[in-house]
Amino acid sequence: MKPQVTDSKTNIAGSSVIPLTTVSNEANECLFEYLHAEIMNYVVGKNSNDSNLKEGEENLSELEWMGFGVGYRIIERLTREWVRFKDELDMIKFICTDYWSSLYQKQIDNLKTNHHGTYVLQDNEFRLLKHLANNTSNNKQYLRECPRLISFTCGLLRGSLANLGISSIVKAEITLIPTCKFHVEVQRV
Amino acid sequence: MTIHNLYIFSKNGVLLYYNEWNRLNKSGITKEEEAKLMYGMLFSIKSFVNKISPLDPKEGFLYYKTSKYSLHYLETPSGLKFVLNTDTISQNVRELLQQLYRQVYVEYVVKNPFCKLNEPIQSELFKTKVDELMKKSPIYLNRSL
Repeated sequence: MKPQVTDSKTNIAGSSVIPLTTVSNEANECLFEYLHAEIMNYVVGKNSNDSNLKEGEENLSELEWMGFGVGYRIIERLTREWVRFKDELDMIKFICTDYWSSLYQKQIDNLKTNHHGTYVLQDNEFRLLKHLANNTSNNKQYLRECPRLISFTCGLLRGSLANLGISSIVKAEITLIPTCKFHVEVQRV
Repeated sequence: MTIHNLYIFSKNGVLLYYNEWNRLNKSGITKEEEAKLMYGMLFSIKSFVNKISPLDPKEGFLYYKTSKYSLHYLETPSGLKFVLNTDTISQNVRELLQQLYRQVYVEYVVKNPFCKLNEPIQSELFKTKVDELMKKSPIYLNRSL
């Protein structure tokens, strides 16, 4: 049952070559982060004039939907060397370990569940937030802007689970940057 | 050994960040005016050095030294300017500036999507990290002068 997929084999670019140097790896990582930031700015800017929104609200569903598409596809690549999953919890465990380290270079730090379809995945140093603040600095500074950085990942999770056969609602909660909790609620029909 | 103060200028001469650690003598003018004077002087020195150099200047201006302090200058290919004043016996200040650029500026300003480039840096994390880096460095010695 132990994971067979290693980090170096499945980095975010999906290339199976051995990492050349640390420099080229850094470039790989940056590329995703910068592109993500630009997409985020684009979506936020495009929807900022939406008159249906209340003060202080933003329409981030487009970002979430993009994440869904990426998540739906990436799961094919990341699970290709895996046997079938035993049950739902098994899938979530895969998400917390191999899946997360392939995408964000670290594993989920804490997984909680009520065994009735609600899972809480906690990342104590979420990659897209760690440049904003840490435990020694002012954690509140960018709190208001954080949802923009999280929507894509929420969609990513939802898309991946969807392709594994779980339809769900994914929400995120941030109280102190860079800690982020993802709440996955499985929808049973 | 001691670190006095640090200026970071953008390509266009905007003061992005200023902090001081052991500075005894205040200039008596506002920070903005002081930054303009500093930038003007650096600009002049740079062009002076490049014009007067009898050989290919390569990196150009690196630092100057008075009897009391040294001013170290690092300019990146993108035009970002890091200026650090230390005492005259400090060594490897250039390395420290490189570190500041690579490990702090790139990580916490460039990679922070909410930090606008070419505007004064607001990020609290960046400020904390600069302070940490300086205080960790062997050049920094908190002497009560």
